[in-house]
Amino acid sequence: MPRLLVMVGTDLLRHLRNLSALMYAVVVPLALIYVMNLLIGSVDELEINPVTVAVAVPEGDELAAVLPQVLEAAGEGLDLTVRAAPAEEVVGLVDDGSAGVGVVVPEGFGADLVAGAGPQVQVTLADGLGLEGTVVTSIVDGALADLTAGTRTAAAAATLGVPPTELPGIARSLQETTAPVTWREGEAADEQLTLSENIVAGQAGMFLFFTVGFGVLALVEEREQGTLRRLLSMPVRPWTVVAAKALGSFVLGLLSMGVLLTVSSLLFDGVELGSPVAVGVLVVLMVAAATSLTFVVATVARTAEQANIAQSIIAIALGMFGGAFFQLNLSGPLGALLLANPVTAFVRGLGITAGGGGVGDLGVPALVLLGFTAVCLLAAWLLPGRKELL
Amino acid sequence: MNLSVTGEPEALRSGRGEGANVAEKVLGAQGLVKRFGPVTAVDGVSFEIAAGETFGLLGPNGAGKTTTISMVAGLLVPDAGSVTVAGVPMGGSSVEAKRHIGLVPQDLAIYPDLSARANLEYFGRLQGLRGSTLRQRTAEVLELIGLADRAKEPSKKFSGGMKRRLNIGVGLLHRPTLLILDEPTVGVDPQSRNSILESIEALSVEGMAVLYTTHYMEEAERLCDRIAIIDDGRLQAEGTRDQLIELTGGVDTIRLTGSGSLDAGAAAVEQMPAVRRVVRDHGTLVLTVSNAPTAIAPIVNAATGAGLSLADVEISRPDLESVFLHLTGKALRD
Ligand SMILES: Nc1ncnc2c1ncn2[C@@H]1O[C@H](COP(=O)(O)OP(=O)(O)OP(=O)(O)O)[C@@H](O)[C@H]1O
Ligand SMILES: [Mg+2]
Repeated sequence: MPRLLVMVGTDLLRHLRNLSALMYAVVVPLALIYVMNLLIGSVDELEINPVTVAVAVPEGDELAAVLPQVLEAAGEGLDLTVRAAPAEEVVGLVDDGSAGVGVVVPEGFGADLVAGAGPQVQVTLADGLGLEGTVVTSIVDGALADLTAGTRTAAAAATLGVPPTELPGIARSLQETTAPVTWREGEAADEQLTLSENIVAGQAGMFLFFTVGFGVLALVEEREQGTLRRLLSMPVRPWTVVAAKALGSFVLGLLSMGVLLTVSSLLFDGVELGSPVAVGVLVVLMVAAATSLTFVVATVARTAEQANIAQSIIAIALGMFGGAFFQLNLSGPLGALLLANPVTAFVRGLGITAGGGGVGDLGVPALVLLGFTAVCLLAAWLLPGRKELL
Repeated sequence: MNLSVTGEPEALRSGRGEGANVAEKVLGAQGLVKRFGPVTAVDGVSFEIAAGETFGLLGPNGAGKTTTISMVAGLLVPDAGSVTVAGVPMGGSSVEAKRHIGLVPQDLAIYPDLSARANLEYFGRLQGLRGSTLRQRTAEVLELIGLADRAKEPSKKFSGGMKRRLNIGVGLLHRPTLLILDEPTVGVDPQSRNSILESIEALSVEGMAVLYTTHYMEEAERLCDRIAIIDDGRLQAEGTRDQLIELTGGVDTIRLTGSGSLDAGAAAVEQMPAVRRVVRDHGTLVLTVSNAPTAIAPIVNAATGAGLSLADVEISRPDLESVFLHLTGKALRD
């Protein structure tokens, strides 16, 4: 045991003295987080002002009645006030400034929709209206698209014998399930991260792979450097050497994560990651996952250079698909693969803690990280590659 | 190669050799075999080393020296055969046998970013040295390898010879029972090389057993009490230098160069019992004799008596190079 600690201690000292480890572990990710925060900072400033939407809907048109409901639903998060008005007054309300946006749904909208005629909805924007107009227009567009798709399905259903009286219901249920915009309040254990937090989580998750690389890949380096021969000629079991590298990676990973998350929380507005214990558990799981992946690389790689290149590619790929730079939403098998990405799991997990979740709420992300670790360790064990250390 | 007839360095050497023969066995290697795919790198190698003895493995590139040493040091698991160090079997789950060895790998095995002292201290701790013992041994070794005044510099700033010396120093820090050196002087300038050889001689005097591989026969002759000649993964012969040389038939060569009656000189020496063969090579008589040091005086007398006036007399005794040639039909160095 003391020999293990001697190795870990010396390794860590060497890594910390070696500036590149420090660069990858802390400096570069912090700088990136800072820059990306500056960039999204300008987005944050585009606040959506309160806006009133005047909506005219033909009476008795159940399909058309969906539109104001969608706007109301969106309004909860957006400070939209939806106000019903007769069709002929809508433009006037916009002109005199009592409404920012006017929406007029024409007579026969529902019937046209069912007939597949593609009815027009008229949207009037007040002069000088900025982002709010765009938001309302896109909500209306989204609702129209959903309604069109929904009624087409319904029409198809009708030819198959679904009674026409159920069409509005079908359309509505479609609208409910495929709402174009959802705004959610942060509830306990909800997956919710601000843009800044998302950047912090993604970047920290991505750079972790570089950081842990310094530990385990040092094994490849020692093999190349010849010191591994010497280590193995000493009264040290081979597994102790491997365990020392794993432990070194693990500690490096924990250190860098700790610094990154703490500094980010202190430095950047609006980064609150939630319960330190839950975040800690998540970080431990994440570091374990990253370290175990590095073992696969160390098993397969022939040279330290190869190993470093492979590790960088993996880090960037996982980071990219895990949302270190932008959010990706994929469905199907690709989406499932995305969910198996430890960076994704880590970001989701932080979403849970940020939303007020505790250790017990980490469920799926925790399982993904544990599963990832297990699969990697198994792969490192089974893969053809170096079985003898030397 | 020319050996001076006067002076008898072998006397010293055989004295040490005798002492070693009665000492305890430190290393036993039995029937070692190692294959890499189709290549049998080591094929049934057995030898023993006693305390205080320096044992040489002499062989050309690819002979299987490093592979043999790797099995002895427990880095490679033999396909067949076994190794015991200080009576403890090498291998298996136990690292006990490794406590007794110090390995100096053929390729440098030091951390370039650590200082000489830090390298020594790190490996010393892994060898189980602690506290004042560690500090004291580190200081002693730094002195021995001549790096005491550069102890704080990162080893990457050292010259090739200094790195080599540090590489060796790490191996003997914990005073191993058996020090294993794999071609420690390769790529070292003559001066550093000499100081390395001197250090190794000193260690053996201290009672350390040494396993030394080299493809320089001069080093094997100078350092080793016993030498095994290895080629193609097999030990071709083993013994003291003199024993090995006897294998060639123990014949020496005397070259007589001069003017006057070469034919008469040849006829005169041909009659002598020590002389086996006489060949004329331009103005030189090349004699094959059984024991040059005792035969030289009568031969010179006979030749000059027959009217040959000698300008130069040269004696060559067989060396390990000739032994290797004799055993394998190949030159030691390519
Ligand atoms: N890891 C390995 N994989 C495959 N072949 C190997 C391996 N190690 C050694 N060999 C082969 O085994 C043979 C003996 O090699 P070894 O390194 O033991 O020779 P050596 O006597 O130490 O040579 P040198 O003087 O060049 O160091 C060579 O043919 C070599 O190619
Ligand atoms: Mg070798």
